[in-house]
Amino acid sequence: MTANVKTWKELFSEVIEAGLCTLCGACSGFCPYLTYYKGRIVAVENCARNGDAQCYGYCPRTYTDLDALSQTVFASRYDEAPIGFAKDVVIARSTDIAVRARSQYGGVVTTVLTFALERGLIDSIIMAKTLPDKTLRPFLAWSAEDVVQCAGSNYMACPVLEGYNQIAKNSGNGNKLAIVATPCQVLAITKMKHKPPQNRSNINDIKLVIGLFCTWALSPDRFHRFLRENLDLAEIVKFDIPPPPSNRFDVYTKSGVVSFPLEQIRQFTMPACAYCFDMTSEFADISVGAAEGIEGWNTVIIRTDSGNELWQLILAEGKVEVNELPLQNLGHLKEAALLKKRRAISELRKKSGNVNNLLYMGLPPGLADKLIA
Amino acid sequence: MSGIAIDAPGTSQLFIGNEAIARGALEAGVGFAAAYPGTPSSEIIGSLAQVAKEAGIYVEWSVNEIVALEAAAGASFAGIRALAAMKQNGVNVASDFLANLVMSGTGRGGLLLIHCDDPSAISSSNEQDTRPIAKWLDIPLVEPGDFQEAKDMTKWLFDLSEELGTICLLRSVTRIAHARGNVKLGELPKVKPKAYFDQTHDLKNVMPTKYIPVPSPVRHFFQHMKLNRAREKFEIAPFNRYVGPQNPELLLITCGSCWLYSLDAVKALKLEDRVGILKLGTIWPLPEKFLEQYVTKAPKILFVEEIDPFLEQSVMELIAGLTSLDHYPVFYGKRSGHLNAYGELNPDMVIKAISNILGLTYQPRPVEYSSQAESFRKSHVPERSMTFCPGCPHRATFWAIKNALKLDGRNGFVTGDIGCYSMAIGPAGFFQVRTMHCMGAGAGIANGLGRLGQFGFDQPVLAVVGDSTFYHATIPALVNGIYNQSNFILVILDNSATAMTGFQPHPGTGITAMGEPTKVVSMEALCRSLGARVEVCDPFDLKATTATLLDMMTEGGGAKVIIMRRECELVRSKKQDAPYKVYVDQDKCIGEDCGCDRLCTRVFLCPGLVWDKKAGKSRIDEVICAGCGVCADICPRGAIVKEAR
Repeated sequence: MTANVKTWKELFSEVIEAGLCTLCGACSGFCPYLTYYKGRIVAVENCARNGDAQCYGYCPRTYTDLDALSQTVFASRYDEAPIGFAKDVVIARSTDIAVRARSQYGGVVTTVLTFALERGLIDSIIMAKTLPDKTLRPFLAWSAEDVVQCAGSNYMACPVLEGYNQIAKNSGNGNKLAIVATPCQVLAITKMKHKPPQNRSNINDIKLVIGLFCTWALSPDRFHRFLRENLDLAEIVKFDIPPPPSNRFDVYTKSGVVSFPLEQIRQFTMPACAYCFDMTSEFADISVGAAEGIEGWNTVIIRTDSGNELWQLILAEGKVEVNELPLQNLGHLKEAALLKKRRAISELRKKSGNVNNLLYMGLPPGLADKLIA
Repeated sequence: MSGIAIDAPGTSQLFIGNEAIARGALEAGVGFAAAYPGTPSSEIIGSLAQVAKEAGIYVEWSVNEIVALEAAAGASFAGIRALAAMKQNGVNVASDFLANLVMSGTGRGGLLLIHCDDPSAISSSNEQDTRPIAKWLDIPLVEPGDFQEAKDMTKWLFDLSEELGTICLLRSVTRIAHARGNVKLGELPKVKPKAYFDQTHDLKNVMPTKYIPVPSPVRHFFQHMKLNRAREKFEIAPFNRYVGPQNPELLLITCGSCWLYSLDAVKALKLEDRVGILKLGTIWPLPEKFLEQYVTKAPKILFVEEIDPFLEQSVMELIAGLTSLDHYPVFYGKRSGHLNAYGELNPDMVIKAISNILGLTYQPRPVEYSSQAESFRKSHVPERSMTFCPGCPHRATFWAIKNALKLDGRNGFVTGDIGCYSMAIGPAGFFQVRTMHCMGAGAGIANGLGRLGQFGFDQPVLAVVGDSTFYHATIPALVNGIYNQSNFILVILDNSATAMTGFQPHPGTGITAMGEPTKVVSMEALCRSLGARVEVCDPFDLKATTATLLDMMTEGGGAKVIIMRRECELVRSKKQDAPYKVYVDQDKCIGEDCGCDRLCTRVFLCPGLVWDKKAGKSRIDEVICAGCGVCADICPRGAIVKEAR
């Protein structure tokens, strides 16, 4: 055993106990030793293996050579672009009013998934589902109805990748998959695509990665406790953060909207999110987020060839309505994304105590300084 | 079927020591026998229960040892010969009543307490010598040295108890209780006694008959008088004897199973004409005059007895008071370090002690032979660890407990006590049990731990007890936890039998020692009536059991109860076939790969699962597998398949 061999113990010391874990689920639900439970990754038993620990290897918060990943996905270098490699950035919304009504913004995610399902491009989708008790669990959606049930966000972290990890045991290989994931989860998936995992379902079964925009996620443990203590969980219908300068966190209940000051809610954000450099899911096929200041629309970033092919089909079928993203909005998006990168770099430097050590964030030489300048 | 009731006086039967004691009791006309099972004592009541109807006696498994002794005393008070049998720990449980009974005296029916010690604690939580209680509480005590004596002494002791009006003790040890030897039978009584609690005036005491320990100083004085009379009987008792030369170089003073070890040792060393053996059957009070004849004739004395130096100290005390001695002999034994004051003895140890004292060298067999035998043993006898049986519900229970405690994340832990489930101190139960003492102790300890919140204690505490243990010693601890709002969860491992001691029935089983159907004392109804939250789980449903445990831990508050209900596999398998055919899909099993790392054969460790080193896969040992199917639920790859039979 060499000093460089990384096991689950290093995953704990370098990531989980170090406060970097994002609860993406890449390490849990696969082996019998690591389990996600109420906002924690728990080692229920010692794994005795020395080395080749996939839990360590695919963690988005262990060292990640971003340039290598970029070469794998885009055949292009990882550079200073704040929103990553993009073929196109647009605003869009579903042409189906019913879908829009049930969605957080423009209903683009639901529309893309439903379309891909209908066309047989995918068989099922790994995504987060809000359970009646308002906790989130990974869910394998097989139909448009399933997808609609998962629409909307509750802003809490969910170990969605557990859903992928369990497929090998539950439904086997050969099933064409899509995944709706946050940036950290997309990063983990990309690490898997770069070096395919063993004993899980074939990573190439994932035909479509829809990345969500994400600035931070709320702790599924602490925020859920806050909800329990302040609201009747059964009454909650949906959550929303209205665009600035509202500074509100709105909870829609059956009897009306309950608003909390955003600052109050921010205390429940996962501390690990402060170390995240990626706001727009830079390695996804298609990234989708809110269109700030344009109510009822999504910002959509088309990134990969396969993502673009699918998008063109959807456009041709008239499933979405598309508009140009106003330059000013694009500027804001890039600025916000850059701010997130700068914050991550500065926090990671602080944490490592060394300006040249960004812990998990493996940037090409000189890029960190370029971003922070 | 035990042959202890055979009516064939003069013939010989092969009995284990416990059966010999039971036969002695039958010959003495015992009418009432009660006990709580405990190795190595259990077969006394076990064999009496089997013949109870035929012999016209009453036999019960009592809820615990103090109740057994109290019940037996009740029979004695009504003129029925009675006995209570127990292991060393039972004596501790019964000791408070015993100490009072000594003062009150027994009734017209003789009363014996038969206590079997377990030197080396082969089947016990602790090692303990119970002989000192005789000295402590002023009770006559005898100890058989072989099987015939076990029978004869029991009968003889009933007469003594009746004559003196005091309870008498008969101590035995594992190697008498469980070894087997010839016993020549005596007559069985033909007359059945009548039970009656006689309240008329007792002419001797000029008082109505009352069994009360007061006035204690007077009663205490009476007891000393009874002891003196016992001593007189002991001086001429047939159970004390001497073998050896008139003036031995070395005198062994011994009792119990050590009598046979001493005989073997002296014979092996061919020292019959140099070494004498004084075998005592009456242990307390010591037969002083009988002893004096021998201790004055030997310059060296070696005490050969198991566990405590009881004879050693008592005889030394006696010798210190002898005026007839010119000089004291040299004493050897535990004090001198020639024998251990712990663990079982054996002939080799006695040989070594004698050789040491007399400056002899003794080599029973060539050293080479010994080392060859040892290496042969190692290569041909597979290593076996202490574990739960295949299909044992406890393995599933501790799996759920382990996972629930880990998921809860507050470093919760398990307190326990003695039972099959004590094996959870080791790999069988995933090292979950952190404290282990007498029956019910885990629940008592949990009471204390669960009240430490004000000192910053927030670790969940789970106290595990067996079903039989619950009735025996846990109910007061649970009442205390509810009354004093102690935060712990009582986990009752209800496998519907007193499994560790041989599947004896208990108040929850609906059957008595004599095989009669009876009322079931429902543990959940009892616990609910106390005001506890009570959950009943099937431990084989790992998911639901784990979730229930987590929910109860999260809830906090006062004492709660979770009952893990699954019949002991050894009991179930006698009635039904295995529920599942279980096999490992060799294509799906990933063995030591990342994603499993042999969870089933490295961690879960059911003996029914074997690791095929060559194939690098797990397999089911079809001979051993009980077909419970639990491993199919823990396999992370779905490679272990269970098919309903």
